[in-house]
Amino acid sequence: MIIQTTAVSKKVETSAGPLTILHAITLAIKAGESVAIVGASGSGKSTLLSLLAGLDIATTGQVLIDNENLGDLDEEQRAKIRADKVGFIFQSFLLIPSLTALENVMLPAELAGRKDAEAQARELLGKVGLGERLTHYPNQLSGGEQQRVAIARAFIGQPKILFADEPTGNLDSTTGHTVEALLFEMNKAQGTTLVMVTHDTTLAQKCDRVLEMQAGELKEQSVDVA
Amino acid sequence: MWHKISWRLLQHELRRGELTIMAAAIALSVCAVLSLSLFSERLQAGLLERSAEFLAADRVLRSRDEVNTEWLQQASDEGLRWARRTSFNSMAFAASDMALVDIKAVSSEYPLRGQLEVGSQAFAEGAPTDELPQSGEAWVASQLFQRLELALGDTLEIGNSEFTVTQVLTHEPDSGLNVFTDSPNVLIGYDDLAATGLIQPGSRVNYHYLFAGDNADIERFESWLLPQLDDVTQRWQGITDGDTPLASSLQRAEQFMLLASLLGVVLAATAVAVAAQRYCQRNYDAVAIMKTLGGSRGLISRIFTLHLLLLTVFSIALGTLLGYLLQAGVIYFVAAYLEQSLPAAGSGPYVLAIGTGLLCALMFSLYPLLRLIKVPPLRVLQRDLAQSSLRAWLQWLIGGGTIYILMVVYSSSWLLSAALFAGGSMAVLVLLGISRLFIRASRTAGMQAGSSWRLAMAGMQRRAKQNSVQMISFATALMLFLLVLALRNELLADWQNQLPDDAPNYFVVNVADDQVAELNAMFEREQISATDLYPIVPGRLMAINDELVRDAVSKEERDASEFREGFGRELQLTWRADLPPNNNLTEGNWFSEDETGSVSVESQVAERLNLAVGDELRFSVGGDEFSVPVSSIREVDWNTMQPNFYMIFDPATLQTSSATYIASFYLAPERSDELYELFRNFPQVSLIDVDTIIGQLREVIEQVSLAITFVLVLVVLAGALVLVAQVQATLEEREKELVILRTLGAPGKLLSRAVTYEFVILGALAGLIAAVAMELSVFLLQTQVFAMQPSIHWRFWILGPVLGATIVALLGKAVCARLLAQNAAGLIRRLS
Ligand SMILES: Nc1ncnc2c1ncn2[C@@H]1O[C@H](COP(=O)(O)OP(=O)(O)O)[C@@H](O)[C@H]1O
Ligand SMILES: [Mg+2]
Repeated sequence: MIIQTTAVSKKVETSAGPLTILHAITLAIKAGESVAIVGASGSGKSTLLSLLAGLDIATTGQVLIDNENLGDLDEEQRAKIRADKVGFIFQSFLLIPSLTALENVMLPAELAGRKDAEAQARELLGKVGLGERLTHYPNQLSGGEQQRVAIARAFIGQPKILFADEPTGNLDSTTGHTVEALLFEMNKAQGTTLVMVTHDTTLAQKCDRVLEMQAGELKEQSVDVA
Repeated sequence: MWHKISWRLLQHELRRGELTIMAAAIALSVCAVLSLSLFSERLQAGLLERSAEFLAADRVLRSRDEVNTEWLQQASDEGLRWARRTSFNSMAFAASDMALVDIKAVSSEYPLRGQLEVGSQAFAEGAPTDELPQSGEAWVASQLFQRLELALGDTLEIGNSEFTVTQVLTHEPDSGLNVFTDSPNVLIGYDDLAATGLIQPGSRVNYHYLFAGDNADIERFESWLLPQLDDVTQRWQGITDGDTPLASSLQRAEQFMLLASLLGVVLAATAVAVAAQRYCQRNYDAVAIMKTLGGSRGLISRIFTLHLLLLTVFSIALGTLLGYLLQAGVIYFVAAYLEQSLPAAGSGPYVLAIGTGLLCALMFSLYPLLRLIKVPPLRVLQRDLAQSSLRAWLQWLIGGGTIYILMVVYSSSWLLSAALFAGGSMAVLVLLGISRLFIRASRTAGMQAGSSWRLAMAGMQRRAKQNSVQMISFATALMLFLLVLALRNELLADWQNQLPDDAPNYFVVNVADDQVAELNAMFEREQISATDLYPIVPGRLMAINDELVRDAVSKEERDASEFREGFGRELQLTWRADLPPNNNLTEGNWFSEDETGSVSVESQVAERLNLAVGDELRFSVGGDEFSVPVSSIREVDWNTMQPNFYMIFDPATLQTSSATYIASFYLAPERSDELYELFRNFPQVSLIDVDTIIGQLREVIEQVSLAITFVLVLVVLAGALVLVAQVQATLEEREKELVILRTLGAPGKLLSRAVTYEFVILGALAGLIAAVAMELSVFLLQTQVFAMQPSIHWRFWILGPVLGATIVALLGKAVCARLLAQNAAGLIRRLS
């Protein structure tokens, strides 16, 4: 199991009193598996993703990534785990506006202090079809192109796990399909574990497993078909 | 690795214009401080150089006896140049007549500063010369030609020697300040002095030793020499000491420059703070992404700290370059205008400017940077999340502390800084309250207005908190601008008033009692505007409250015990029934008709001698001693070209027929050749031409007004920068709002007008507040710092709001123009 949670819950303080966003969620994801998380807006999908990725910590329960308990680690150590094992793709792309496409892709490798960042980034941008756009800034690229840069960036660290939060949510359907195809293709090629939040049911169906969130509780929809 | 990321961010962001405001703010503060302090330092050095000509040297040692030659040797050893000037009164005999003259024997190095001017006709314009009288020659002042009916080539007998008169001495650099020399000067070579046989033991001779050289050398010599001086018979004199008109003008100018550059720096610092805040906010996402991608906190702090440092270094370098060029340009024109080159400045201004830039950049971006580094990675999923666990008071503490440090550095006074700072903080708080009130009131007003206005009011209301902060910076910037403008006009008018075009340019001295009426009649007949004739009686101050002063006892006694400090030399006393013009009583009352027997003392002397109203002073006048109480203390404006006195008695106490009289008058330069005819009937009076002093004073005023105009421009720039930075900081917010309104179908014209109105209201309100605050500050500065008459500036009450509305609306529109030009789709895309 590459990801494992036991009775994870998340409570936050709001001005109207404490609010429980996630209720005792237990799940396990195998290495190489692709999992879709679906559910209504506000049902807690992004919150769950943030806990799985160690961006936030659970109020109760445990989250294990590659057998390490995130609850035992401080923020720096969790960052180290993300640097080594995790890649991200977001709905709003989140490229750094003042860096070029190439530099955005190089960034994770550089933060990890790796020397071969540039060559790898060039190769990856070639793979996502943006070999000619290396020196363009994010605002010179279309939404689909920006998301392809984000995909290249996600794969540069050869992560074991890829988290995606509604990766096609901001794209029109044609572009969305191109980006999806690319995502699955690269995921297959690298043997990465994919955890993806999506509204798109066809996209969800392409995954090995679909988990459904309902008001902070988890309901498994379909089990491993393979 | 990480430094590459910093470098890249800097390069790209600079190129894409995201750091423009921040870089401009830092560069401007460096540029302003550097150019201003370079400019004022060089100007001052130039002025000092000019004023040194008043002394014909950098320092003068006046002594009643010859000084130890060791001292002169020491001066040479220190690398100083020195000269002798030995002077005394003597009779000079011409073919038909004789007169009392002032003999000045000067050594060959004289004058060390400035130049002598000579001519071939009495009272005519002379020309500068580097020569001195040869052995057996004498150069003679115009008055003596008048008195003895001399011509060039005549022989003048002085003591045992005969001299040939070879030049009319029209100007001596060091003659200007002592208007009480009543006999015409005769200049001879020092080597001819001994042969005259006039210097005998007991004769009253002034031995002056002139020194000039590098500042450092002079200061070294000074600190070696001063402890050895006898403070009764010897006096050490520099340029800015004493009651020279230059000294007080310079001091005021310096105070103004200091204040203005401090205000400029505070403005620029505000711009840096606003820009840094905005810059960091824009980078929240970048930090969240880097953290999500596994960047450790240490790494990210290093990246952004280096980024900021690089930006700072870049901006400071830019500012230094601009400041240097600006100052060089201004100096070039000033020097051409003044026909004088200005000496180069030291490294002080550079240290000050770069230090200021570093301090501003680092301190004001520290708090935003700390917040930036604390941004949690979770922000990538929860878009509105921004860490706000850092206390806001920390920001105020860092910002306030930095401004206070700057104030102390600039004013080098803890106390003044504390007062300014407290006043400023109070003003900000009051402004904050007032602007909140205004904004609230404007909503009610807006309800009755058209739709653009209503939208504008609503916008203001929505951003009430943001707007009141914004309004403070607008108001502060406008206020500082108005302040500098008002002060500039006031100061210049004040100076010009003291030196009107018809300021007296001649002093007439040595007028006998029985000629006063005749001279006054002549002034009236010839339509010459003259001051009153003031009697002069020489006298000495002997004791204060029956304690003998030092100069009243012999040297042996003095060394034996402590004595109260005295005046140190003979005084010129006068009597007068009413207070002279340009004198102000600060303590006590002026003489009344029925009570007699008291003296009015000039305030600086009173301070130096520690005198108060009621103290009993004993004077010795012509062998008689008498005591009178101090009845008042007077402030005297030394900038005026009128006879001024330290001690004024009531007429009953001092009146005597043995006094001589002095007055000053204005004679237009084109009438100067009438002088001979005018004073033909007054052969024993002396005339002293003070045109040169007036010329130099005017020059100071011109230089200072140039400098002040320059300061004004810098303050305007700094103010504009604050405005732009502020408007930019709210741009994102406005963007969102515009998208919504546009999407809802609001026509572009309406939105554009609403934005304009909002800025117009903000600007006008800020302008009004600024005018009020300015009035208050000017009042305080005029009364507390510059010692001027306070005044009200009604024009500024209109100028403020109009200027505020115009400037803020124009700048605001300019910054928002790109936003307004976009259609809804474009706007939405920018936001996503
Ligand atoms: N820090 C928080 N404070 C208050 N409410 C929160 C916080 N984080 C999330 N929520 C709420 O929890 C719910 C789930 O949020 P989220 O996980 O973003 O939903 P989803 O991604 O499924 O749309 C939402 O109603 C959201 O408003
Ligand atoms: Mg979500």
